[in-house]
Amino acid sequence: MARLRDGREPAARSGVPDYAALLDSIRGIRWPARSAVRGGIPGAHTSRMRGSSAEFTEYRPYRQGDDLRRIDWKLFARSDRAYIRLSNDRAILPTTVVLDASASMAFPVESQGKWSLAAQLAVGLSAVARNSADPVGLVISREGEMIQLPPRTRQSVIYEMVRAVSDLTPRGSPPLTSALDAAVRMSGRIVLISDFLGEGDDLLAGVSRAVVAGKEIHALHIIAPEEIDPPRETLLVSDPEAPDIRRPLTGDARDAYLTAFSQWREQIAHDWSEAGVSYSTAIVGDEAPDHLIRRVTAPRGIAATA
Amino acid sequence: MTFLAPAFFYASLAVAAAVIALHFIVTRQPRAGILPTARFVPDLPATATARATRPSDIPLMLLRALIILAAGAGLAKPIIKPSRGAQARVILADVSRSVMDSAAVRDSVRALYRNHDAIVEFDSSSRLVSADSIASLRFSRARGNLSAALISALRAGSSLRDRADSLELVIVSPFAAEEFDAATDSVRKLWNGKARIVRAGAREPSGDSSAREKPAISWPTSSSRPPGAIPLEARDTIGGVLAGDALLVASFERRWTYPEDSIRGAEVIARWVDGEPAAIERESGNTCTRSIAVPITSVGDLVIRNDYKRFVRAVSGDCVATTATIHAGTDKVAGLAGPARLAPREAFRPRSDVHSGLAPWLLGIAIVAAIAELFVRRRRSIAATESRLDSRPARRAA
Repeated sequence: MARLRDGREPAARSGVPDYAALLDSIRGIRWPARSAVRGGIPGAHTSRMRGSSAEFTEYRPYRQGDDLRRIDWKLFARSDRAYIRLSNDRAILPTTVVLDASASMAFPVESQGKWSLAAQLAVGLSAVARNSADPVGLVISREGEMIQLPPRTRQSVIYEMVRAVSDLTPRGSPPLTSALDAAVRMSGRIVLISDFLGEGDDLLAGVSRAVVAGKEIHALHIIAPEEIDPPRETLLVSDPEAPDIRRPLTGDARDAYLTAFSQWREQIAHDWSEAGVSYSTAIVGDEAPDHLIRRVTAPRGIAATA
Repeated sequence: MTFLAPAFFYASLAVAAAVIALHFIVTRQPRAGILPTARFVPDLPATATARATRPSDIPLMLLRALIILAAGAGLAKPIIKPSRGAQARVILADVSRSVMDSAAVRDSVRALYRNHDAIVEFDSSSRLVSADSIASLRFSRARGNLSAALISALRAGSSLRDRADSLELVIVSPFAAEEFDAATDSVRKLWNGKARIVRAGAREPSGDSSAREKPAISWPTSSSRPPGAIPLEARDTIGGVLAGDALLVASFERRWTYPEDSIRGAEVIARWVDGEPAAIERESGNTCTRSIAVPITSVGDLVIRNDYKRFVRAVSGDCVATTATIHAGTDKVAGLAGPARLAPREAFRPRSDVHSGLAPWLLGIAIVAAIAELFVRRRRSIAATESRLDSRPARRAA
């Protein structure tokens, strides 16, 4: 289990992550939008709308239909012309985390490392977004059902997320595309946390559509170190999502596996980055969860230039 | 415990070892594990196996080994208390006239004898005697015959084959030249093993040839009859006479004959061609006297013929007591030793079959174990199937 940057363990020995320590370690982190968001409820992100906030930007001649209260009367007195005072609008960015709860996330079987890290990232990123006054929601794709927590800004939403992920055991091979569609309908920023071993092309197509629609998509690829470097002893490995796949992992097969898995990861990273997704890899135990959160939330785009 | 047919048991040992080795080197399915990225493993046959470092199934392995060993031991016919030893001897004791020191022969036989051995005494004939008779071996004046003794040894070997795995032939004799005949070598080869040569009872060779006894020969004359012979009531004519290897073919008028009283204690040294004695020899102190009943006529060329000369040399040779002590040549005696190995018991004709009482029981155990092996294997197969079925929902749940 990876340690936090201050040395504490984010997960207790029972396997249940210590969310309090995680939330404490990410306090103060901001997560600005990568591009101007749509206007709406005032928030922390730069909006595409021009409004009447205190942050002045420019004047515009009065046009019929403008609100008379927005005319700068002092300028009208000096120039005898009516101007409207414009300013950059600030808006919220509803954020929804889509969490893959398929059986492949319950790996390794003993430590449930992938699921634990995914749950910590989901809660941590939600907390960071919540700190920016953004509504945060959660969609968990689970076999037979889809657990949805609509984006909210109330204080208890993080606690509800913690309870939702703690009471859940990954199983089955549910489709992630439907969870993504639900999240796209609800939010402008979607965080997709998965090992991407499910439906590949369909999910990428859905993500591409969301990006075109102006959504900000973050993809976190969860990988277990046992998947990168499987045990050297001969095993008859089986896919938990496809029990029919039972293959002998011998010495020769191991080399071919390493090559194929590496190529697949490179292909995933390339395709998702090309689609305009902020793609990151999270290897269990390789990097502290709070560090991963800082990496994901680092300012990019207009936020980086602001 | 020993086996009547140990080859079966050795074969079963080899097969059992192979079965145990198979349990060690048998391949089995590797340990199952979960790997979400199993789809990236090459799609090889899932029956690929891993080498086991310990026996795969010890009870089943032991059961299979028991089947094989019990069957092999049953076919090998084990005998808990063997009725035969490893080795037995057939001792040929020479009691003929060639023996000058009978005590030496007795001592040699007594030293060589062990339980289950057979003793055959021989002179011109041979007899199987008991161990109690060693002290009372009766030495005779008859000429020894090794061929007859060897025939009796073969018969004794057949009776000993059930008591020993290997048989040794021991010949205790002075090995006089006269004891060998033309059949000796052939009969000796019938004993398919080595013979121990024990020279005993021979007279020490003397270097002074003049010390040998010379016989006193009484040739018949027209006025006197040969000593010990009586005139025939009806004279007849016969066509030849034989002395040793010398055959004299001529027409003789047979005038005398030797009554049984005369022959008793004497040695016939020449016979007419119809078998009647023609000359006898009788001991007389350190020498011997010979009575020859072959009339020699002065008419004709008989006395100048070569066969007549050979006949005369034959009947005028050394006394029998002297020829009986002439040692056979070293090559002849060495030829009796034969090959270096002992004769196996299989070389002798069996007199009866030996049955093993344990064989049916062991074969029964093998059958019962074979049936049990079927049940054990079936139970293991069912258990494996059930565990496989149980593991599927568990994997789904995981």
